[in-house]
Amino acid sequence: MTIEKKILVIIPAYNEEGSVGKVIEDVRTDLLQADILVVSDGSTDCTSEKARAREATVLELPFNLGIGGAMQAGYQYACQRGYDIAIQVDADGQHDPKEIAKLLRALEEKKIDVALGSRFIGHSEYKSSTMRRIGISIFSQVISMIVGQKITDPTSGFRAANRKAIRLFAHNYPQDYPEPEALVLLHQCCLKIGEVPVGMSERYSGESSITKIRSVYYMVKVLLAIFVDCFKKPPLLREEGERC
Amino acid sequence: MLIKIQIIVGLLSLILLLITFELIRKKRLREEYAILWLFTGIVVLMLSLWPEFFLSQFFARITGIFYLSAIVVIAFLFLLLIVLHFSVVISKLTNQNKELAQRYGLLELEINELKRHYLPPRRL
Repeated sequence: MTIEKKILVIIPAYNEEGSVGKVIEDVRTDLLQADILVVSDGSTDCTSEKARAREATVLELPFNLGIGGAMQAGYQYACQRGYDIAIQVDADGQHDPKEIAKLLRALEEKKIDVALGSRFIGHSEYKSSTMRRIGISIFSQVISMIVGQKITDPTSGFRAANRKAIRLFAHNYPQDYPEPEALVLLHQCCLKIGEVPVGMSERYSGESSITKIRSVYYMVKVLLAIFVDCFKKPPLLREEGERC
Repeated sequence: MLIKIQIIVGLLSLILLLITFELIRKKRLREEYAILWLFTGIVVLMLSLWPEFFLSQFFARITGIFYLSAIVVIAFLFLLLIVLHFSVVISKLTNQNKELAQRYGLLELEINELKRHYLPPRRL
């Protein structure tokens, strides 16, 4: 690397006071040069205070927008401040910050626009319920078909995006089920996606937003949303220099 | 039979008109919707006053459907359109709401940064 790139780590958090501090510290030890932005999505607990205490920048939304709206706000920040790379890390601690380097390397070497951390390529030690495995494998097949390349872990929220993708996401980011839908959006806008094997651990605290009973319902809704996305008009890519 | 329906429909339209007036008076209804509902109330009232003229004579000749079913079909289509229109309006408002929240968060962050840089720390 000749020029030092400006890197932003975006951590969307909704009532994650138990784990957000630890995640920030982990990211800081592994990635010295990066800035950290915690997007507090209308949290009612001490998430913002805990993040500020560890000297992360906190973007506080006035009320809960959902993960899509929060992530988009993070990308808008990255776009406005001219960051070259934005990395998305969950606040519940299931993404290992040590793996960020792999995403960055993939972004650099493979000439892709978005690097996706996948639990299922290579050595997979990730344990989850059979229900979830089946769901993810169905998603994976559908998304792979639409995008035209193999995507093993479409619901992974562990991603790195370059400037081009940051600009796209700042203006258009899916709201309902952003992880899989964003891949369809990227494909529509002809941005390149690449997957990188990463290890993920159990979350430090909090429940997954998907409970067992709702998982089937969730799956149907996501598939419908993806299906609808395929018919949406792809947004225009904005030029650099336009307002973020 | 017809007279009974006429009375019921007439009363309903009067109630609708009254509620609309009250909402306008309390300024709880935007003008565009006030006009929509006033218009709806008046049309229904006219239907109940002269059903033969509006439906049996005029409408039934064109479409070939009878009074009652005609009313049901028209009312249903009309309500369907209104509900669809409201879904569009709600979607737009939700999106604007989201954008406002994001813009608000970003601006607040910026203001706090400016304060920290340019204002002396406040003494307690």
